[in-house]
Amino acid sequence: MSGLLQLVRFQAHRDKLVLPLWVGGIAVLGFATATAVATQFGDTPSRTAIITVATSSPAFLFVRGVPDGTSTGAVVFFQGYAFTAVLAALMSTFLTVRHTRTDEELGRAELLGSTPHWRSAPLIATLVLAAAANLVLAGTVGAGFIAAGLPVLGSLMAGAAVGSVGLFFGAVGAVVAQAMPSGRSANGAAAALVGVSYLMRGVGDAVGTPGADLQHVTSSWISLLSPIGWGQRSRPFTAADPLPLLVLLAAAVLLASASVLVRERRDLDAALLSRRYGKERAGLGGGSLFGLTWRLQRSTIVGWCGGAGVLGALAGAFGPIVRDAMSGSSALQDLISRLVPGVHVDAVDLFITALLGIVGVLAAASGIQAVLRMRAEETEGRAEFLLSTPQSVERWLGANVLVAAGSAVLVTIAGGTAAAVGLGLSGTAPQRAGYLLPAALAHAPAAFVFLAVTALAFSIAPRLSVPLGWGILAVSLVLDQFGDFFGVPGWLVSLSPFRHSSAMPVEDFNVAGAIALTAVATALALSSVARIRRRDLTA
Amino acid sequence: MNALAHPIIESTELTKDFGRTRALNDLNLKVSDGEIHGFLGPNGAGKSTTLRVLLGLIRPSSGTVRVFGRDPWVEPVRARRDIAYVPGDVSLWPNLTGGEVIDLLTGLRGGADEALRRRLITDFEFDPRKKSRTYSKGNRQKAALIAAFARTARLYLLDEPSSGLDPIMDAVFRAEIQRVHQEGATILLSSHILSEVEQLCDRVTIIRSGTAVETGTLADLRHLRRTRFRVTGLTEPDRLASLPGIHELSIDGTSAEFDADAGDVPALLAGLSALGFDGFSASPPSLESLFLGHYGQATPEMQ
Repeated sequence: MSGLLQLVRFQAHRDKLVLPLWVGGIAVLGFATATAVATQFGDTPSRTAIITVATSSPAFLFVRGVPDGTSTGAVVFFQGYAFTAVLAALMSTFLTVRHTRTDEELGRAELLGSTPHWRSAPLIATLVLAAAANLVLAGTVGAGFIAAGLPVLGSLMAGAAVGSVGLFFGAVGAVVAQAMPSGRSANGAAAALVGVSYLMRGVGDAVGTPGADLQHVTSSWISLLSPIGWGQRSRPFTAADPLPLLVLLAAAVLLASASVLVRERRDLDAALLSRRYGKERAGLGGGSLFGLTWRLQRSTIVGWCGGAGVLGALAGAFGPIVRDAMSGSSALQDLISRLVPGVHVDAVDLFITALLGIVGVLAAASGIQAVLRMRAEETEGRAEFLLSTPQSVERWLGANVLVAAGSAVLVTIAGGTAAAVGLGLSGTAPQRAGYLLPAALAHAPAAFVFLAVTALAFSIAPRLSVPLGWGILAVSLVLDQFGDFFGVPGWLVSLSPFRHSSAMPVEDFNVAGAIALTAVATALALSSVARIRRRDLTA
Repeated sequence: MNALAHPIIESTELTKDFGRTRALNDLNLKVSDGEIHGFLGPNGAGKSTTLRVLLGLIRPSSGTVRVFGRDPWVEPVRARRDIAYVPGDVSLWPNLTGGEVIDLLTGLRGGADEALRRRLITDFEFDPRKKSRTYSKGNRQKAALIAAFARTARLYLLDEPSSGLDPIMDAVFRAEIQRVHQEGATILLSSHILSEVEQLCDRVTIIRSGTAVETGTLADLRHLRRTRFRVTGLTEPDRLASLPGIHELSIDGTSAEFDADAGDVPALLAGLSALGFDGFSASPPSLESLFLGHYGQATPEMQ
């Protein structure tokens, strides 16, 4: 027992910077949402107005969740819950994978495994750490809401909802880590499951049933497939119900036990999904930097494209269903014609635009991840080996940036094509289908900026490149989604590259914006190539 | 041809700082064309850092470095054109098979000699179809060695290349070194395994705390070596300490062990016979003692 505590302390010590950043960041996001709602929508009529608008927009429901009344707390939960839950989930999967599969892959687990501990003791210690981190997260998020003036019980319940989702995904990460051969693939698979969970909740909420008062939407059964959907069903500020959270916790315990059972039965370094043999000779391009880069990244790129494809297909296929759901409510139709008199913005278009926006985020993330692969190559010593050959470091960087840009383009193509096919198959408005591929591609220039910034960070401050790359994406996302809402100055909000992407098909293609973004990205990428030669390769 | 006039590697007062840590401190290293040069030092002495500087991967803080007469930091690609490198800690791409790794590294250098590649894979008993993640340290090292030797280079930079190899594979490795040596290549062999250097190298540079403390042929360095003496049945063991030139003395009852410098041996033997003893053995001088002598100075005198 004391040995287990020692392991927990050891792992916590390794995370002493990372975990407080995650917990603090998530709590601050929650607190900022709460204060923004309190100041911008201080009275009931204004809250009723925004909730009514949200109820009438499936795109809103997809991205944020279901409205559940007009109290300040309910509006805060509607605005902030889904994002906060996704962040808690990612914090937890990264946490468990970092201490399990990554440690095994890099040989650190072997060292620990030689100490007189139970075989699964390090895994159990990780699960304990994940539980503790999410408990602290739940408390901190709850405290943030209380500090912002929300009811105590509802605040704590909302915090518990976020923490429960986090804990569930911590256990998911532990299971995935047993199956995948490397930390990278385990992180990818676990993050994909978080994404699927967000998507299922989104679909379930978007096709949910609006209440007659237009202040509530009841999610469809589809959102029950999503742990994030379960957390939402705790309805903390309206009709607090701990049962869904208890279900999540029970599921987490089951998954955690399963991971421990698997760990007890498998060898160190053994993985379910790991091939021992491959080709004896390299294929075409196997002797070039570009070929290597593509080879190392292609399965990750396929993964991102798959995610974007699912999202696009949902956008295309569900768009018309969403419209049908809405046309069933005459009160909604009245509202829409009152809200946007004269201008006719189609609900299907709004829905598709919102989802293609998420495809754009995926494209940016895929580009950032591809660029950051260089950092792993560097820290794990492979870059040194690679660059002992007569190849310049500039070429290496260039090949990686090109593959990253290609990845971003492929992700948008996958999303756009799937959306077009989905819309075409649904049988409505097939003439618009052809418009969706360009609409998705319009998000590529913003993604270029993100990957180029990450490349420059890698050239100048390699040790900071990972937090900088992902941090800039997170901040831009928050600025884009919440900037106006938080009352952030316009110039600051406009720093987010997402702000300069064209939200097609609702908006027209912004040629100047696309050119500006591409030019900025090119300049950043070129300066990263120019700067890389000035620094040492670090090991 | 005057090889010494045009060294393949030449570093003068090479210094490298990592933050506040000084990894290399005025290191002078000269490796002539066609020689096998041993680069000997304990862990952390700066051997790998030196090799990284030679490859142009890190920039010297001060001092000059020339590889094939060029500054590797300024012209890294030209300097690396004729270099084959085996890192000390070989890290491979987990998803690639050993064969793919060999093709990659030789491909980046311009392509492997196919016959050589086949023979090396056979000689090193290497399975090129396995994914790199399944290789042991020794097998990763074999992959790096095969990639290095499968394409002829003018300079081989080998960082503790045989540390993961068993004795049979070590023999294969030494045979390859001899082969490329006979073909005229220059080899810089970093090691803390003394027998390896002793068997292979023409000249040796000893590095300690980032500074070259000795350089020369093995014969040149012979004067530095100490002989290990073992004496039993001493009648007056306590008086041993007063004899000239005795180091590392340990007394156990009437037996004693100690080291002595070559120059002190005649006087020592005279003193010993005056003391009286019944058994005596002396181990031949080995590089071990030379190395320990230098390494010993790096740590403060204990006891």
